[in-house]
Amino acid sequence: MFNATGVVIEIAQALLGLAVAPALVGLVGWVKARLQNRRGAPIWQPYAELRKLFGKESVVSSNASWVFRTAPYVVFGSTVVVALLVPVLVTPLPFNQVADLFALVYLLMLGTFALALGGLDPGTAFGGMGSSREMTIAALSEPAIALAILSLALGAGSTNLGEIAARTIAHPTVALSPGHILAFAALFIVMLAEAGRLPVDNPATHLELTMIHEAMILEYSGPLLALVEWASWLKLTVFLTLAANLFVPWGLATSLAPSALAIAFVTLLAKLVVLAILLAIFETRVAKLRLFRVPELLAMSFVLGLLAVTSSFSLR
Amino acid sequence: MDGLFSQVAVLGSSGVLLCAIAILWRHGVSGYISAFQLQSNVLAVLTAAVAYFGHDHDLYWVAAMMIAVKGVAIPRLLTRLAHRVGQTHDSEPIVNAATSLIISGLLILLAYTAARPLQALSAAPTRAGIPLAIGLIFVSLFVIVSRKQAISQVIGFLMLENGIALLAVLATYGVPLVVELGVFLDALMGFLVMQIVLYDIHDTFNTIDVDVLKRLKH
Repeated sequence: MFNATGVVIEIAQALLGLAVAPALVGLVGWVKARLQNRRGAPIWQPYAELRKLFGKESVVSSNASWVFRTAPYVVFGSTVVVALLVPVLVTPLPFNQVADLFALVYLLMLGTFALALGGLDPGTAFGGMGSSREMTIAALSEPAIALAILSLALGAGSTNLGEIAARTIAHPTVALSPGHILAFAALFIVMLAEAGRLPVDNPATHLELTMIHEAMILEYSGPLLALVEWASWLKLTVFLTLAANLFVPWGLATSLAPSALAIAFVTLLAKLVVLAILLAIFETRVAKLRLFRVPELLAMSFVLGLLAVTSSFSLR
Repeated sequence: MDGLFSQVAVLGSSGVLLCAIAILWRHGVSGYISAFQLQSNVLAVLTAAVAYFGHDHDLYWVAAMMIAVKGVAIPRLLTRLAHRVGQTHDSEPIVNAATSLIISGLLILLAYTAARPLQALSAAPTRAGIPLAIGLIFVSLFVIVSRKQAISQVIGFLMLENGIALLAVLATYGVPLVVELGVFLDALMGFLVMQIVLYDIHDTFNTIDVDVLKRLKH
């Protein structure tokens, strides 16, 4: 499908991700508020925040160098490229040639790395602390991600995202296989850690002792902050889309027919809403872990990945 | 059908094994007890599934007994025991949680290599779960040696028994009911004896931390 339509749809997918991301985060926040007996901000609150931030001027510390100013663009850019690669609506697309799970993970890592540099650059205590914590967590979640990916790839015979989704559509029983389910659990834990969600990092607070992601972006303001925030929301959306389309890929369009695209769009939104509500319920149920227990959580994820690999290896 | 059966078997075995791994990650005896309870219930469901797919009606009885004894009675007794000896929180284990999780992963890999010849011999559709059952036995032994509280060691022993039951169900889902019940009563008797011994230890030493037992008392 190397044609203009495919490329247009590919770009439309990334734009769709960008458009949906704030609403998704707003939905998670709203459901959490409802579960805690609060009225909660409306679902479109993040859009208002973005508009407000883009309208303000950016105040940059005089100690900051060009690294600080370019980091948000790198973070945002790498996340958008990831959104271009993930099969959101249609599975075989032109960019699918490079849509490899490893490429995807390391593109996200590039964003993490740039943000850590941006946190270190102005030389404030909090930024450096946040960066060092973020790097610790990234380094620990690395082996768990690699194993979960390997398990999926063993099942599908390829590390290509489109191939994995297509194979799961072709063989529905694969979705019930233990390797698949365990890999999903491992990837879910890692996803929480990477997206800075609750058991690892609380996105809603600015409490000095517990900040990880928030500490890194403390120095940012105005449009730069808007870019960083938007990128982190998009990252969560991409992770949820991946979880939805790699493990429960039904509804993905396999052709460019408008009806199939419409079905894909509706099922994707439904899957994302379900996942967001599940995430909100999960975050309401668990408390934030002590930082020193995060390695244990990621070791658990590693063991899950190991089990997933061994079981998909023995069932091949 | 056969493919679905083997997948259900492996999935159930993975669930049972994960409950054992959850012990390494939880802190506190109540967490251990609930993990053991969940494990027994998953094991009972898996046994019922094997009975359904393998058309073996005796196994339904075994599953029902499992839920009654291991899923309800023993956890209750354990909870009472824990409250009686005032032991609700395990002291720091000999190896920390992250290391013990990695070690359990390695033990499971070892179980896979050890179970190779067994799997080659068996033609049953459940054979893919055998390494997981052996892995559960290894992990339970590891729980027994790495905890300092006698009550945690008892839970490790009960999990070991669950591992043996899982292996019996997976490897030969035609164990005569009499044998199965015999193993069952054996475990129950072992547990009751352990309970009495624990009460005695607690009365004598005022603690059930096995490190303290090295001190001689007269």
